[in-house]
Amino acid sequence: MLLSGTDRRRQLITAGVGTVLTLVMGLVLFVGFRIATEMRANIAALQTASTLQTYPDDITRQLASLRDRLEARAYSGQALEDLRGTVRRFDRQLKELNATGYVHSQELTRALQLWQEYGPVIEPVVSFNGQPYVDSDTAGSTLSRDGRTHYAEVKRAQLFATDNSRTLQVQLATLATSLQRDASGAAARLRTLLSIGVLAALVLAAAAVWFQFTRARHERAAREAQDQTRDILMTVREGFFLLDAEYRIGSVWSDALTHMFGRKDFAGLTFEELLKNLVPASTLATATKYIKLLWGERAHENLMKSINPLGQLEITMDNGHGGKETRYLQFDFHRVMGPAGIKQVLCAVGDITSSVLLARELQESQDNANAQLDMMLAMMHVDPLQLVSFLDGAETGLKLVNTILKEPARTDAEFRKKLSGLFRELHSIKGEASALSLSSIASRVHTLEDIVSELKKKAELSGNDFLPMVLKLDELLAHLRSVREMAGRLTALKEGAHAAPAAALAAVPAPAPVQPAAARAPQQFARRAEDLVPTLHALAERLAQDQGKRFKLKLAGLGDVPAHYVGTVKDCLIQMLRNSAVHGIESPEIRQALTKQDVGVVSVAFQKAADGFELVFEDDGAGIAPDTLKAAAVRRQLVSEDEAAAMDTRTAMALIFRPGFSTQDGISMDAGRGVGMDVVARSVYALGGKIGVSTHPGRYTRFKISLPAGAASSAVA
Amino acid sequence: MKLMIVDDSNIMRRRIERSQQFEELELVGTAGNGVEAIELFKRTDPDVVTMDLTMPRMDGIECISLLVALKPEVRILVVSALADKATAVEAMEKGANGFLNKPFTDRQLNEAIAELMR
Repeated sequence: MLLSGTDRRRQLITAGVGTVLTLVMGLVLFVGFRIATEMRANIAALQTASTLQTYPDDITRQLASLRDRLEARAYSGQALEDLRGTVRRFDRQLKELNATGYVHSQELTRALQLWQEYGPVIEPVVSFNGQPYVDSDTAGSTLSRDGRTHYAEVKRAQLFATDNSRTLQVQLATLATSLQRDASGAAARLRTLLSIGVLAALVLAAAAVWFQFTRARHERAAREAQDQTRDILMTVREGFFLLDAEYRIGSVWSDALTHMFGRKDFAGLTFEELLKNLVPASTLATATKYIKLLWGERAHENLMKSINPLGQLEITMDNGHGGKETRYLQFDFHRVMGPAGIKQVLCAVGDITSSVLLARELQESQDNANAQLDMMLAMMHVDPLQLVSFLDGAETGLKLVNTILKEPARTDAEFRKKLSGLFRELHSIKGEASALSLSSIASRVHTLEDIVSELKKKAELSGNDFLPMVLKLDELLAHLRSVREMAGRLTALKEGAHAAPAAALAAVPAPAPVQPAAARAPQQFARRAEDLVPTLHALAERLAQDQGKRFKLKLAGLGDVPAHYVGTVKDCLIQMLRNSAVHGIESPEIRQALTKQDVGVVSVAFQKAADGFELVFEDDGAGIAPDTLKAAAVRRQLVSEDEAAAMDTRTAMALIFRPGFSTQDGISMDAGRGVGMDVVARSVYALGGKIGVSTHPGRYTRFKISLPAGAASSAVA
Repeated sequence: MKLMIVDDSNIMRRRIERSQQFEELELVGTAGNGVEAIELFKRTDPDVVTMDLTMPRMDGIECISLLVALKPEVRILVVSALADKATAVEAMEKGANGFLNKPFTDRQLNEAIAELMR
């Protein structure tokens, strides 16, 4: 938790008050100790002074007693001894009182001076140690010479004491009074001091209680803040952590980080260690430099967000169910400032997978819308019949692709054979779509082609490798359906545009029965026969390249194809051209071996005939052997072996117009689908025409299609 | 404060010149490449520079290094359409103070310059 300014001030005040009170307490104790010491000395001095007050009288009295005893010639030894003791005690105690240093009063000084004056008169008395009496039988006890001197000294001392004892006593009494006053003063000071001490102690105790309360309150607030921080870090969906100057993660981070990175050991982890297995080394190096910029003073944080190399990071992680999932993370970096500058860098990691996917969907949706618009525009330039034919062919081709995908395969060779078949088929559809400028279809097929190309590069293949193709294939088929639907609407639109003026001119008011627009479309719009030539040349070139064949396409009379036959003629020619390129025209090597021209010839001629039109398609290739056709028909279970054996050449040749027939066992891009000549035949029959084939093995194959002069009765299937 | 604009596109130079709305910024000149920029810089001693990165003769990164060597306190805003973030980061390492992606709005430009002058 961060301390606010108020909290910090409160703590400082508390600490200051506590310190001051502690110092006051210390001072009180110290001064109190001094006063107590002084008081003890004062009391001792007072006791001494009080005791000393009695001594002057005692000395006077004892001198009188000594004098009396000397006068009475009584035993004076004890009296002298008492006096001596009193004088010695008084002298010692008075000097001790002076020596303590606590007493510096005038009374003591005067007492000392006076006592010094006592000295000359009393000292001879107390120092007497002779015999005061002389005993004789006659006179009894009389004073000896020393005794007389002694008696005189006692007398003089008594007189002196009598004169001065009162003064000395007054001085000592005054001294005692002074000492008592000092002691009382010290006691009063000590009381005051103790009161202050008690008060300070109370204040200190109160401060301690307040401080403890405040601290408890702050600790509670800190705990609450910690709990809240923990709750935030546990709940927030972004991953938060701090990086120090060595790019190491701090000890606190949000729980979301654990989910994002699938680990918990973040403390002390370097940024590089966090990302090294998730991002390319070059990106990581740039990111590290980027963070280093944040530690510098020069770069403006707000002006470098657009160059953040981790602004949208794609990572692949375990999904916890044994699989992998792709996520998009966004790293955002912020400086954390302290009083001394940049303290740390806060890193916020957001999971923006939903946003990225949504943006992609929007983009795809936009692309689709654009593609549909492009497709509409492209379709407006494509002959509807041609478009329908292409869509039929493309759908058939894609279904074939689907069949190839579903074919069981185990060995690598089988998988690679699949790839070859897929590639050729897709490439064919793409080429046709491109030829018709249907770019949205071409680009989708191209995506599938790319997948196949990538798979071809793989060292080992498995069935799972083909799964992405299935999804893309479904998308493409859906797209083809939408194109078909669009084509229908477009045709209806065109029809409506054309029908309006026609209706206005019509004499019969009743409207004509409504037919499905797609069914009527081929009859409504003129087709461009001149488009046939470049389309067929382009197709021939592609087929030759794909099949490794060399042949020349000769076209004649196609400009005369009536508009209502253009689509059918084109579809027929495309199919027949494919057949020639795959089955008919031999490879250059074979042609050389057969002493034929290196470059084969495929010729197409359209011309008017007596009862209509005639289309002749011929190649100088290998021709068709009836036995080969029979064997293929048997293999495909179109006929039994007996039936095949019974067939004559004409019937055998007619096999190629039967649905599902193909001589090609393998699958190739341009033939072998079993959907070849039967479609051509059906188209021709639908127009009321006829189709025939003649061939000579090793020399040629010729198809002759006869079409009636009038308009066809129905559209081509 | 004195402003210098460095960009090889004349249109972009005029765009920046017209879009910036700071009265305290006095345009002292524009340069179409790094070499011109260095010469102009020495002559006019600008305080703020907008710098393109991809330019003929001398690119922006080299130019930034030289400008910072000439005047460490100069403030440089890289204005570039560069998609390669490693190069953008390198420009910042050389001493640029900020980066503005092209294309930009007038508001983005002015906010970036305001941030730069703060």
